[in-house]
Amino acid sequence: MSSAAALKARKYLVAASASARARAAYRGDFLGSVIAYCLFVFVFSRVWRSAYAARPSIAGYDYAMSLWYFVVAEIPYFGSSGHFRELAGDIKSGQVAYLVARPYGFVGYRFAQAAGSSLVAVLPILGAGAALGGLVAGPPPLGSAAQAALLAASLALALALQILLQLALALTAFWVEENSAFLWIYQKLALVAGTLLPLEFLPETASRIARWTPFPALAYAPARILVAFAPGPSLRLLGAQAAWCAAAWILCLALYGRGRRRLVSQGG
Amino acid sequence: MGAISARGLSKTFSAKVKPEGLAASLRSLVKPERRLVEAVRGVSFEVERGEAVAFLGPNGAGKSTTIKMLTGILHPSGGRAEVLGLDPSRRRVELARSIGAVFGQKSQLWFHLPPSDSFRLLGAVYELDRRAFEARRDELAERFGIRDYLDVPVRKLSLGERIRCEIAASLLHSPAALFLDEPTIGLDVVAKREVRALLEELRADEGTTIFLTSHDIGDIEKVCKRAIVIHHGAVVVDESMKDLKHRSLAKKLVGVKYARPTAIELPGLEPVKRTADAARFEVDTRAHRIEELLRALVELGEVEDLTVEDESLESVIAAIYEDGAGRKE
Amino acid sequence: MDLSIRGRARAYATFLGASFSANLKSVLEYRANFLLQVFGMMLNNAAFALFWGILIDRTGGIGGYSFEDVMVVWALVSTAFGLAHVVAGNVRSLGDIAVRGELDVYLLQPKDAFVNVLCSRTVVSAWGDFLYGYLVLCLLPGLSAGRLLLFSLLAAEGALVFAAAFAAAECLAFFLGNSRSLSEALHEFLLSFSLYPEKVFDPGMRWAFYTILPSGFIAFVPLAAFKAMDWGLVPILFLVAAAYMAASYALFRAGLRRYESGNQMGTRL
Repeated sequence: MSSAAALKARKYLVAASASARARAAYRGDFLGSVIAYCLFVFVFSRVWRSAYAARPSIAGYDYAMSLWYFVVAEIPYFGSSGHFRELAGDIKSGQVAYLVARPYGFVGYRFAQAAGSSLVAVLPILGAGAALGGLVAGPPPLGSAAQAALLAASLALALALQILLQLALALTAFWVEENSAFLWIYQKLALVAGTLLPLEFLPETASRIARWTPFPALAYAPARILVAFAPGPSLRLLGAQAAWCAAAWILCLALYGRGRRRLVSQGG
Repeated sequence: MGAISARGLSKTFSAKVKPEGLAASLRSLVKPERRLVEAVRGVSFEVERGEAVAFLGPNGAGKSTTIKMLTGILHPSGGRAEVLGLDPSRRRVELARSIGAVFGQKSQLWFHLPPSDSFRLLGAVYELDRRAFEARRDELAERFGIRDYLDVPVRKLSLGERIRCEIAASLLHSPAALFLDEPTIGLDVVAKREVRALLEELRADEGTTIFLTSHDIGDIEKVCKRAIVIHHGAVVVDESMKDLKHRSLAKKLVGVKYARPTAIELPGLEPVKRTADAARFEVDTRAHRIEELLRALVELGEVEDLTVEDESLESVIAAIYEDGAGRKE
Repeated sequence: MDLSIRGRARAYATFLGASFSANLKSVLEYRANFLLQVFGMMLNNAAFALFWGILIDRTGGIGGYSFEDVMVVWALVSTAFGLAHVVAGNVRSLGDIAVRGELDVYLLQPKDAFVNVLCSRTVVSAWGDFLYGYLVLCLLPGLSAGRLLLFSLLAAEGALVFAAAFAAAECLAFFLGNSRSLSEALHEFLLSFSLYPEKVFDPGMRWAFYTILPSGFIAFVPLAAFKAMDWGLVPILFLVAAAYMAASYALFRAGLRRYESGNQMGTRL
């Protein structure tokens, strides 16, 4: 890498590490999200135990699979809160006018910041999930180093997609004042399409439609890679995640480009 | 009859000492280390009904703590307070009916609602009957010139308009005493002048006792007849504004500028600032006669400009603060 | 001034009425936002309804709850939770208010600080929760005036227990200083446990639902009362709610004494 390019890349790394450290300073802040996550996992472990009391398997999932699925599927969601509100807030308050003038790629910079802070937030959740999952469902179904690597990559991509979609939704604040409605609809669809329940649980048609949306890439993919690893399908899931990330990135760039032009022409 | 009285009022907080480092933090969970902080130590003063008193002191002197004890929010750890014949710490709710409070930083108006709605709510809080409430509201709206804003949400008002509404709100129940903590903070010159005029008018017309803290000397000069200065939790000055101003007359600031460079030498007086052709002196009028000084300056060379100013009240008070600091232990 | 009990009661009723109407107006200042939040909350609840529908379709019932039971519990809890936040909007910010020293404003007014501070705000999205319960009730078969009345009474009782429990958790701030995470965790626990069938939880922890995390009096007993149309349980439940309120109030008074002493509250001199 030439030194100019290295300098260019460096500012994104610095942004990521600065926001990571800022996040780490507010320990009480993510203690709350860890507690909420653990509570959720615990309650669902009781629900699943009750559901599996009378039958060994539902839609091809046994108790341990369902539980580990849930443990993983919730991680990207709990690890990525707040990015929408931050950016949407900056746009609505007009703060963004000062930010666009700086010498960096805006989308890349915001993504780096969000990723840095999410990385810090997600680690304790990951630890808590592993411990709690082991406690209520036995050891995780991790068979090989390859599976572990794919799982890690898939979780990273799920987190990245969460951030990118939140940023894209937040960028609509250039046009729509009350755009939190978009976030809600997005979150609830994600909840139903693979976060609370594996896709296989949905009715046939719903499940087939859901597979064509980005929602499975947010939760289903990493969870499925953990509980039902098979090289071919798992790689396909990973590929789909990467494709959705690329699409979301392009969407962010397009929204930002248009929004910025609007900002310049209308002065915010 | 006395409106506010403090006798040996004191307040000691016990603050937890936040230790550095993880091990010390853990230890402090089990056995927290505490440190006693004497915020107010034996403050005594009397305020008559209808008096307007400025309560001054540098940041951290114990002003807010004292006001909180006088209004019943904080309970004193020693001494006695009496406001309108009531002990604030025992009879806060009763006292609340006859005092008003404006804390510049804490609003009692609803941010998203027009003041008229907050007024109505306050009418219910103070149990005013409807007719009396409406008459009082209209009277205040007239006097404070806020009639046009009564139906505009508070968030759309300027700070000056908001503060006027804020003060009007605290007067709905016709309190006999009004406590104001930094009422003009952040206001522009015109808005400040308006608020001061209103307070002065209120005292004259309704005989409201006014107890005001401010860092703005203008507030104090325009509104108050007396100043109580506290420092490190104790009263260091309690005198009329007139006497306070007299202190400022004791020192004159003399500036002189000559048409060409001049050796500015006066026997027994060093300038505080000197350039080749100009100088500035601080003159203690008890030690030097001002007319002799001026004559001496004129004799030194061709004078282009000569100014004589009283020391500002602001520097008088600053000197009291600094002095008080020296007297601390 | 009228100092009789009736006079006092009337003064408080006027005050609460004025407070509520100010709340409502303040919400309507942002009509679009209001509708959006209401709609958003309903959507959130509907997503969970979908989840339960799918799960119960697959299993035939969870922890003894049929799909209709789940819907009734969600309706009850949602309306009770909403009502608590609509009327007493500060019920989950009391601790922050105390820590920031903003209790002063309420202490300077001649009304009980507990009632005054709790009721001086409304939570916009809570209106969505409040309405959602009634929406569900209307969609369930067998709607009648009696069911509507019983539902409203049970939800009101649940709202009292919610408010008492939330406020009590917030009062920890008086004693611990910044207790945000702990208070919030208690809020989450109470809400979550109320929304799932009692029987899925281990018998060893169910005592908590009738003591420190009173989901039993918000969801489980009211559900039984509603299903059996058992009006006799209503006064008993209200007595329990009153006891929770009294305990919460006592905790607040104890906390207030610390506030008045000026210690523990981050000591702002």
